[in-house]
Amino acid sequence: MDPVVNTRTARWSSYLVAFLITALIFATALYVSNYFNEQRVADIQATENDVSAQILSTETQFDLLQEHPCSDVSETDLAPSEMTSLGSELDYLEAQGGNQAEIARLKSTYSLLEIKDYLAMRQLATKCSLKPVFILYFYSNKGDCPQCEAQGDVLTAFSQEYPMLRVYSFDYNLQVGALQTLISIDHVDNNLPALVINGKTYYGFQSMQAIQKILPQLKTLQTASSTASSTAK
Amino acid sequence: MIDAAVTYTLLFVSLYFEIFLLVAFLQRAFLSNTNISTAVSKYPKVAIIVPCYNEESGISATIASLLALQYPKDAFEVIVVDDGSKDRTFEIAKQFEADSRVHVFHKENGGKHSAMNLGLSKTNAELIGCLDADSIVEPEALLSIVSIFQNEKVAAVTPGIHVKETGNLLQHMQKVEYRLSIFNRFMLAALGSAFITPGPFSIFRASIVRELGGWRYGHSTEDMEMALRMQDAGFLIANAPKAIVHTGTPKTIRKLFHQRVRWTYGWLRNAVDYRHMIGNRNYGNLGIIILPSALISIGAALFFFFKIILEFAVLAQHEFLKIQVTGTVPHPMFSFFYFNTSMMSILVWVAVGLILLLVALGSLIGTGKRTLPIGTPLFVLFYSFLVPLWLGTAVVRAAFKTGVRWR
Repeated sequence: MDPVVNTRTARWSSYLVAFLITALIFATALYVSNYFNEQRVADIQATENDVSAQILSTETQFDLLQEHPCSDVSETDLAPSEMTSLGSELDYLEAQGGNQAEIARLKSTYSLLEIKDYLAMRQLATKCSLKPVFILYFYSNKGDCPQCEAQGDVLTAFSQEYPMLRVYSFDYNLQVGALQTLISIDHVDNNLPALVINGKTYYGFQSMQAIQKILPQLKTLQTASSTASSTAK
Repeated sequence: MIDAAVTYTLLFVSLYFEIFLLVAFLQRAFLSNTNISTAVSKYPKVAIIVPCYNEESGISATIASLLALQYPKDAFEVIVVDDGSKDRTFEIAKQFEADSRVHVFHKENGGKHSAMNLGLSKTNAELIGCLDADSIVEPEALLSIVSIFQNEKVAAVTPGIHVKETGNLLQHMQKVEYRLSIFNRFMLAALGSAFITPGPFSIFRASIVRELGGWRYGHSTEDMEMALRMQDAGFLIANAPKAIVHTGTPKTIRKLFHQRVRWTYGWLRNAVDYRHMIGNRNYGNLGIIILPSALISIGAALFFFFKIILEFAVLAQHEFLKIQVTGTVPHPMFSFFYFNTSMMSILVWVAVGLILLLVALGSLIGTGKRTLPIGTPLFVLFYSFLVPLWLGTAVVRAAFKTGVRWR
């Protein structure tokens, strides 16, 4: 490299070119970020389609069972679908920002799928005398529910420990007709977090011990570790 | 919302500055016609002042390296100024007076600027240099610098500074930082905007130093104060990256912290003294972008540091709460779905990539090789978390004008 003896006079073309390149980098970063977010949305849509197909299958199964005995159906057939991971992915997408209208639409669809799944499972369980465990969880992420995060953590831990447990989580403020009907049928007040277990509503944070006390039948469910070990055998 | 606006603005400014230097570099590489002959037609008399205080361990190597410089003997002298050392520095330096080019003086301790001024008063050399007593020079260094003084507008020339020893991880990280500094020093000089004439082997035109009144205390950074004064007076400061000097670097975080607090404190206090230059178009690139960016970079580093610390604290609190309410430690799971692809993280990756590119260019300019030093991963991962510590301390101390000591 040659030694430097240039004058210090500003060369405005350098300033302009640097500005354009920096602006281009920002625009590219925005584009790439949006591209990956759109990919995530597409992933979630695909999963929602899968879940929808699963629910249709359950409903069809139920229709078939109207005329046939339940001998071929057991609790293991009621294992939760990809619904749990879908909920986590939607939470992440919402926290990341992005196209809020698109995310709200995905959440609405997700809530509808949850309600349909819940109803189908309940009907199937009643018909076949099965005893699945359901928890309906109502939360708010508007910043008015300081305990919702901890409640969500507890329920996630339960879902991981008991794969057969069906936790349906609903954004209380989501304007979906079916969800508002569910809220009104179960008489859930805007006092969150709220859990509906066996038809009874519990308000405020419920610890793991409290939920285990409310739901003694949890002990009858297979745990993740026992499922893993039986699979290994 | 305000947080996002500040974050993106600072990211834009930081990226803009890196890209501005890169663009200026490319323009210089492809468009510039400032090729200079490095052949020396005449050999002006050169005096190198070695100010030293308690440097008994390094002074011999420093003087020996100066005496090994390729330069006519009758046009070269070494002036060692012992600034009131309490060890054997003076005694050791005296032994070199057997060589007629070496002159050793002793004075009461008064700071580096006073030692430099004593040296200045003891010589009639046309060019006068400084070499810290913890540094050694390559034999060709002086010739590389002297050739640039053939341009009469040049008041000072800075060298290419390399780390002398890489004995531990901290010094390996500093080696990467010094490579980045080689690029920055080169480009700042190219933009006529160098505002530091570092202690290790910067050479000055003696007549200009005298005209400007010699060295001043400069808030313990007389090398920065002198450069700003030269710029203020309209003189040019050039850079000769091929003039290689190896300088000692702190071996411990404590010493590094102390050194960098002094440097940053000196910069901030000198910035106040020379505030009329900041944002002033009359000073060209220096006033328009270099000085403002140097100040903004301190604010940006502190802002991002506290932002990361705050976000980490919130995350840690959430994880702690999760463990508390569930009684279990969450299993770490990896899924591409959760890979952070926010605009912010992409921009941070771009900024890191640009820094690596500038380090590679620093290596190219300083050593002729594009390879990154082996300490680069450590530098990227850890050094950026060390820097805000001394920046923050220096900002507080500068605000309260506490002053800083050399040691």
